[in-house]
Amino acid sequence: MKSKTWVPYAFLALPLTMYAIWVIFPIFQTFVLSFTNWDGVSPKFDLIGFENYKRLFSDPYFKLSLNNNVKWLLAFVFGNIPLGLGIALLLDQKFKGDRIYKTLVFLPMTLSFVVIGQIWSWMLEPRYGAINSFFRAIGLSTFAKPWLSDPKIVTYALIAAASWRQIAYAMVLFLAGLKNVPRELVEAAYVDGANKWERFWYVILPMLRPATIIAVTVNVIDSLRAFDIVYVLTRGGPFYSSSVLANYMYIQSFHNYNMGYGASIAVIQFLITFGFILVYLLTALRREESTV
Amino acid sequence: MRHRKFSLIFTYMLATLIVIIWMFPFVVSLFTAVKPLDELMSQKGLWLPPKSVHLENFKRAWTEANMKRYFLNTLIITAPSVLGALFISSLAAFALAWYEFKLNKLILFIFVGGMLIPFQMLLIPVYRFSVNVGIYDTYLGIILFHISFQLGFCTFFLRNFMKTIPRSIFEAALIDGAGHFTIYRKIVMPLVVPALSALGILEFTWIWNDYLWSLVLIQSDMKKPVTLGLTTLQGQWVSDWSIIAAAALIAAVVPITVFLIFQRYFIEGLTVGAVKG
Amino acid sequence: MRKFAVVLMVLLFVAVVWGKQTVVVNSYMSDPAPKQVFAELVQIFEERYPDYDIVVNTFAHEDFKTLLRTWLNSPNAPDVVTWFAGERMRYFASKGLLAPIDDIFDGGFDAYFPKAFFSSCSYDGKVYFLPQSWYWWGVYYRKSIFEKYGIKPPTTWKQFLDVCETLKKNGIIPITIGTKYLWTAAGWFDYLNMRVNGIEFHTKLTAGEIPYTDPRVKKVFEYWKQLVDRGYFLENHTAYSWQEAATFLFRGEAAMYLMGQFIKDVAPEDVKNDLDFFRFPIIDGTVGLYEDTPIDGFMIPARAKNKEGAKVFLKFIASEFAQEYFAKKLGRLAANKNVAPPDPHAEKGLQMILDSDGVMQFYDRDTNPEMATVGMNGFVQFMVTPGMLDQILENLEKERVRIFK
Repeated sequence: MKSKTWVPYAFLALPLTMYAIWVIFPIFQTFVLSFTNWDGVSPKFDLIGFENYKRLFSDPYFKLSLNNNVKWLLAFVFGNIPLGLGIALLLDQKFKGDRIYKTLVFLPMTLSFVVIGQIWSWMLEPRYGAINSFFRAIGLSTFAKPWLSDPKIVTYALIAAASWRQIAYAMVLFLAGLKNVPRELVEAAYVDGANKWERFWYVILPMLRPATIIAVTVNVIDSLRAFDIVYVLTRGGPFYSSSVLANYMYIQSFHNYNMGYGASIAVIQFLITFGFILVYLLTALRREESTV
Repeated sequence: MRHRKFSLIFTYMLATLIVIIWMFPFVVSLFTAVKPLDELMSQKGLWLPPKSVHLENFKRAWTEANMKRYFLNTLIITAPSVLGALFISSLAAFALAWYEFKLNKLILFIFVGGMLIPFQMLLIPVYRFSVNVGIYDTYLGIILFHISFQLGFCTFFLRNFMKTIPRSIFEAALIDGAGHFTIYRKIVMPLVVPALSALGILEFTWIWNDYLWSLVLIQSDMKKPVTLGLTTLQGQWVSDWSIIAAAALIAAVVPITVFLIFQRYFIEGLTVGAVKG
Repeated sequence: MRKFAVVLMVLLFVAVVWGKQTVVVNSYMSDPAPKQVFAELVQIFEERYPDYDIVVNTFAHEDFKTLLRTWLNSPNAPDVVTWFAGERMRYFASKGLLAPIDDIFDGGFDAYFPKAFFSSCSYDGKVYFLPQSWYWWGVYYRKSIFEKYGIKPPTTWKQFLDVCETLKKNGIIPITIGTKYLWTAAGWFDYLNMRVNGIEFHTKLTAGEIPYTDPRVKKVFEYWKQLVDRGYFLENHTAYSWQEAATFLFRGEAAMYLMGQFIKDVAPEDVKNDLDFFRFPIIDGTVGLYEDTPIDGFMIPARAKNKEGAKVFLKFIASEFAQEYFAKKLGRLAANKNVAPPDPHAEKGLQMILDSDGVMQFYDRDTNPEMATVGMNGFVQFMVTPGMLDQILENLEKERVRIFK
């Protein structure tokens, strides 16, 4: 419709204005802030060029946080996605009560991170926590670990708590993808003598490609901006061992009076994520063009 | 046929095991909420079922913690935020789905990009903006922010849904001489109702569950939503786990109920939004 | 005309009702006991000054610390905020974010409070901080446990180690501590440093004038390491907040906790009387006895809307009556010098302070706030991995140079 070019803009005026004020403009402000030494308190601050970014590269806690983000990413992509897919395949079969099962697995998706964090603090508490006391009760006390206080395992404990929710998300994405797999195709393969594994690998999985791509990108993005669980359960502690970029940024900006430095962390986080956002958009839009 | 039966039993067993594992944290919280404090501390195991059930923890959490007020606040914030986000994003989605113009792809790109950015980027500037404009610590301030912040996802979602509506409907209406806004209001919007319900349910839970933005944009006790109230409570009753557990369950009750009732919409919302890109 | 009169009267009426001045107080007193007492005080104030309406917003402690900065910077700043005396207050005063309150004291600051408080409540000669209460730190312990094993409160380091050993042998956790929010570890650093190196050194260190890699600092950690290596501290302490760690003491699983008097706020009734404290043991007899005595109170943000109302409220808080009311109910020491210690426990605390050779506030109140976070992180890291001490201190030193440049 090229008749009146102003029409779409009239519809876009209000949404774009609001989006610009509360989302787009703040992003640029954060960019600018990252070149300053503003402490979040003083009325004045100076432009200090790339000082903050230089400091990042010699900051061991920044590296640690980045490193932890990589762990989150790997666990989300190579752990949660296959698990989500597995559960989706299992529950996609026709059996009585399958909906109840799906509902129950999905339940954590509806919870606030504050509540999830609280619930998991009782799971992971070292002395009375459900996990440790359960292991002790069944005679497996070697598996009882100080989940939140041992710097070596704390990140994995946090990832587990987050995955409780995230796996359910992956499952839902795959369940929807499975709906789009034509039954006839699978049955045809069955008639042709393909076994279960072959049917999955050669027929179903290729059909799940779009769902997989979306699940991967969503998980990558979520793993890179992980914050709430970390903040509620450990605040990145003990001594930053479970910190992730978002958490470190928050601590630097709002606890340590380093708004400028915190902004530079946010910018780095943004730049890393941006690559994946591009992938997401390109796949989303390209598929659309091929179907239109 | 025996093979089929065996496989069915296997499916049941595996599915049940998974659900048990998945429900474990919930059950632990429920146990914690109904145990009296001394049992909690003497029993040495949060996973054990309570010896006796004490429901007064819920009552205490509700009354002593002012949860009633927090609930009301959450409603006051959530309802207009959801409605506003749906309405305003439907305008943008309408423009992006039906019209071809130069900046179409770029604007869509901006909306989606904004929805994926690490939200920490916005924290400082949004706070400063709210303060400078005088909407800090007001319902209006947080509602406007929620609406704007959700526009990215909502627009993307609705636009994708509108794309699935046959174009001929739109073109026929134009030829009939219908105005653009009439088409939006009378023709497209009624067709989008299923998508709006799905999206609405989704947005409702998200905004209901928001914690960080309320923390940054609200300061008065009288205006705090339920999530913020819960953490205030955590500070107050740090070692009294039963009360916190009761409060956490109270805070979870509404989103869970909404989800159970509108399950279909909820799941549709999540999948349509993401998969049908 | 009559209509006009009616409208006018309605307007007047509204003006009178709405004419109540609102004073917004943001408070971190979220533990039930102090929250309750403060609410009572507010009520009494409102009865005495019916023109004022005090709105109290309570925040969880750790949230409060994060949010204060943003409030102080906002045109919507609250009229009164709770806070800590010392560097933590001066930091904000130095940025021009606080309003001076000298004019609320009839007869000057000294007429109300001990002279010694002036420096930690003022900046550049002006008073910015209204002290409400103060308290001492000490090693809190369970009397019943000590009795059971025939332990006497130790006075020297050697005795202290023996006490720990006895307790440990009997399956009791000698010392509980919760370091999730870091600051509890700073108590140990403060005391060890003051006992090993004295107050002058400690003051210089917190002022950023001494490198953290100084051998004298290292010596402090050698003493600390003795406790860590022998496993005298609660296991997995980084998983607990200070209150959660206190429950080990309350349940009798742990025997001692280096903590401020406010530990009594959270103790169950039946344990309160079983709690006592002793002075942190002497390490070097040639070094004086120094203590941590933090002062809590209120400030008025420079951008507060109703500064006059805020001052009226603070004037009330400074009064003998209000100070005594608060101190008595919580067993703290009132800042007002005319108020006597409320109970024998507080008398003992006061006596300990009077007998000391000098006092500090607390590590995170005496040093630059940014340094405090870095430093306390380092202390906790040391408690978990004492082997990394050199690395930790080098990092602290790097940060000190950057922060105090």
